[in-house]
Amino acid sequence: MFKNYLKIAWRSLKTNRLFSIINILGLSVGLTTALVLFLFIMQEHSYDKMYANKNKIYRVLLNTTDEDKETWANSPSIIAPELKSKIPEISKAGRILKNNFGETAFVRVKKGVFAEEKLFWCDASIFEMFDIEIVKGTGGENLNNPNTVLLSESAASLYFGNENPIGQTLIVDNRNRFEVKGVFKDFPENSSLDFNVVTPFMMQNAAKNPTWDNASFETFVLFNSNTPNVANVESLIQNIVDANVKKEDQWYNFSLQALEDIHLYSASISDSYLTDIGDVKQIQNLSALAILILIIACINYTNLITARSQKRAMDVGVNKTLGASKGNLIKRFYIETGLITAIAMLLGVVLVTVVLPIFNNIAQKNINISALFTFEILGFLMLIWFVTTLISGSYPALYLSKFSPKEVLKPTRGKAGVTSYIRKGLVVVQFSASIVLIISVMIIHQQLKFIKNKDLGYNPENIIAISISGIRDGEANKALVNAFERLTNVSAVTRSQGYPGIGVSGRTIGKPNSNESLNIQTNRAEYNIGNVLQFNLLAGKLLPKIKHPKDTLVEVVVNKKVVDFLELTPEEAIGKRVDMSLGNNAFITGVVDNFNFESLHSPIGAYAFHNRRSEAKSFLLVRFQNEILSETISNFEAAFKSVATNSAFEYTFLDKNIERLYKKEQLTANVGLLFSIIAIFVACLGLFALAAFMAEQRNKEIGIRKVFGASVMRIISLLSVDFIKLILMSLVISFPLALYFMNNWLQDFAYRISISWSVFLIAGVLAICITFLTVAYQAIKAAISNPIKSLRTE
Amino acid sequence: MIQIKELEKYYKTEEVQTIALNKLSFEVKEGEFVAIMGPSGCGKSTLLNILGLLDDPDGGSFKFNGEEVAGYNERKRAQLRKHNVGFVFQSFNLIDELTVFENVELPLIYTGVKPAERKKRVEEVLEKMQIMHRRNHFPQQLSGGQQQRVAVARAVVNNPKLILADEPTGNLDSVNGNEVMDLLIDLNEAGTTIIMVTHSEHDAKYSHRIIRMLDGQKVTENILV
Repeated sequence: MFKNYLKIAWRSLKTNRLFSIINILGLSVGLTTALVLFLFIMQEHSYDKMYANKNKIYRVLLNTTDEDKETWANSPSIIAPELKSKIPEISKAGRILKNNFGETAFVRVKKGVFAEEKLFWCDASIFEMFDIEIVKGTGGENLNNPNTVLLSESAASLYFGNENPIGQTLIVDNRNRFEVKGVFKDFPENSSLDFNVVTPFMMQNAAKNPTWDNASFETFVLFNSNTPNVANVESLIQNIVDANVKKEDQWYNFSLQALEDIHLYSASISDSYLTDIGDVKQIQNLSALAILILIIACINYTNLITARSQKRAMDVGVNKTLGASKGNLIKRFYIETGLITAIAMLLGVVLVTVVLPIFNNIAQKNINISALFTFEILGFLMLIWFVTTLISGSYPALYLSKFSPKEVLKPTRGKAGVTSYIRKGLVVVQFSASIVLIISVMIIHQQLKFIKNKDLGYNPENIIAISISGIRDGEANKALVNAFERLTNVSAVTRSQGYPGIGVSGRTIGKPNSNESLNIQTNRAEYNIGNVLQFNLLAGKLLPKIKHPKDTLVEVVVNKKVVDFLELTPEEAIGKRVDMSLGNNAFITGVVDNFNFESLHSPIGAYAFHNRRSEAKSFLLVRFQNEILSETISNFEAAFKSVATNSAFEYTFLDKNIERLYKKEQLTANVGLLFSIIAIFVACLGLFALAAFMAEQRNKEIGIRKVFGASVMRIISLLSVDFIKLILMSLVISFPLALYFMNNWLQDFAYRISISWSVFLIAGVLAICITFLTVAYQAIKAAISNPIKSLRTE
Repeated sequence: MIQIKELEKYYKTEEVQTIALNKLSFEVKEGEFVAIMGPSGCGKSTLLNILGLLDDPDGGSFKFNGEEVAGYNERKRAQLRKHNVGFVFQSFNLIDELTVFENVELPLIYTGVKPAERKKRVEEVLEKMQIMHRRNHFPQQLSGGQQQRVAVARAVVNNPKLILADEPTGNLDSVNGNEVMDLLIDLNEAGTTIIMVTHSEHDAKYSHRIIRMLDGQKVTENILV
């Protein structure tokens, strides 16, 4: 009997080509989407699962106790040795520090100079905790000795080609010389940790003189047990802090984050050296979208099958008069759906191979096609096949199998009413979902555009930031500034610790005669910083041009947020001493207007430029005129190389860097756009088939109307108006939903657009146009057909 | 074989109630060939639905082989129908996706006959209907007459005691129509009871007895044989 059902299903597929193609195409697009996203989700969940100690490793998080209540991944350097020695549950603790607090390193070897993004200073224990595999030479124990370095396989091959890297020398930032002791296997794609060059943390000042102040070191601990009592250990950490840090100096407390949570649950954690961070919210959103598209595809199937229920009624009736039971028929319909879903699934798998590179590109991922051929995916395929068959097949199976055999002898049309309502309801659901997507994508794009065009309080355009941390010589640095100032299309040059858009130093500023304090970002800079960044000076002056090396006075230029906190006007603030860990001799010399130095997700905080010799000036900021050309870049490089022969020319544009801050939003917008197109495509497929069916069903009516003089236009509008009505209904449902979702999304931005009614208007017009175009083909076809034909067929 | 007594059937819509069968009574003996005639809307099809155990009467008695079946639920009726009743429709109602052989085989599948036995029985009946050479064709590849032969073959393959034919020649020309009537006569002579609804006086003359209906009631009964 099973064979018989399969045979009927297969032949019915072949006979009704249009419906079959639309059904299979719609379902396979839905399944492809679900599959690609499942691969993506699987990869996101696979992060850090490869480490044997995965259940025992935790990262120490620092929670600030000020009004901002931030969570940082960096802690003071003393935390690691303190926890290891005082908490018996912790067997190991290790710190990592990205070169020069997060900067690109310049690695010089015989072959030349390389800009290295992934140079980390690590404790030896990190290698033991993460069981990093050594493929050549010796391992992590080398990090207990100074001037040793471990390289990843790819770094070793980049720096030394086919030569044996062991024993070779490399020089970092023109300062430290290291001997290569070992080569470790490249970190897998799905590891949060990813090093290319590892140098000993013990060489850092912070290792020699660990303190409770400078929270710049990412710290990992290894527990003895797989199921540590985290809450208990956190309270022990608090006890250690209480014993060592005065209550009034405790601007933080500590918590622990499991290694397995780092990838997906760190989106709101700042100050981490790990850059490959996912977002569980994004995964949830994408999963919801995938399910939505799959449901839209399933709705198509259900709609098309029930739309053809008159033919089905006859089928069911005949089978029942021949002895088929309701159960037989339910089985038959499920088998038919199962067959179609299976074909769609196979097609979906083929489509995945085509779509995955595109998805990788849009989502900036690197999911390998081989991930498709695993047991998990096979299981997922079976599950999704089953679920899709169940969702799509249930209504036809349960509804159609109920048809009475009487229908065969005298077909009645009475029941069509109920199904047609359900069908219309499903179309409304499909289109509501699609319109919500259209509106969301439009609003996301508007917000991104707003971000791009917002006045940030300074001008990030036409500024290039060149990394100069490899140039140690003060004279060379001055020569470099001169060399750039001489270039024709350069209008201002300065050196600074950092620039808006990247983290600089985190300090706190205290209010005189009060316990209140405020987190502040401080940036060591030079007098020309104002000309380069072009912010608005409210009072006083910028940093002095010439600073004597023995001058202990620290000049500070603060933003308005700081004087507001100090309850002063900009003018009153000038000349006031400030308490912000810049020594006892720091005075405000200038006040600039507030500017957005972080992404627009955060409100503007306190910021200060100063000239204390506490931090290195790692960047040369160059403001140039006109648009940048490749020739300008070559001129810059030539000027750079004329002074810094031993450094790599590493640069970034400030405006491009700002765009990077919104990578996640851009990604959401791109993926959202992709999904909206897919959703609308699938929904339109269904609509197209439904329109074909409706035109066919109303054939006789159209014939009669034409005989009595209806024009072609009238017939077209007759057939289209029903669908347009459905779309209008979808608009009514989708508008408040979209408004709700997008208002929520916008809450994440401190600076955001207000949603305009025009978005809804455009989405509405767009939806109606798409519907009309989809339906019009069928409507026109029916309207211009010869009425005699349709009347004769009846 | 069939005894109906004061059979009633109503159709209700929101506003009107239509009486389809109005205290209709008659009997059909085993081996009889009865034609039922009457204008459109006189209740013929309703009667056929009830006799074919597809529908339930609203009143009266319906005995099938001496067993009272009025009030049987759908499952019980289906069980009885499967083994005892074959149907022939005006519009053939063959399943487009199945070949001639597969269409005829269908009732045997539903009654659980083994594949080897099915093959034997289908071939026998196709042979008898002289359409063996068309066994692998699909319905749309056959003429109307041939389609009706397949429909008759499908109706008899289970050896039902009763065949209900609803305008079996309605969609056929006179030559093909006569051939189908001859087939029914052959079946009847072999012992199958046949009840046929028809508009055609010509076809009705093949039967033993003609029952004429009007407004859900029997008006006359002519015995021909």
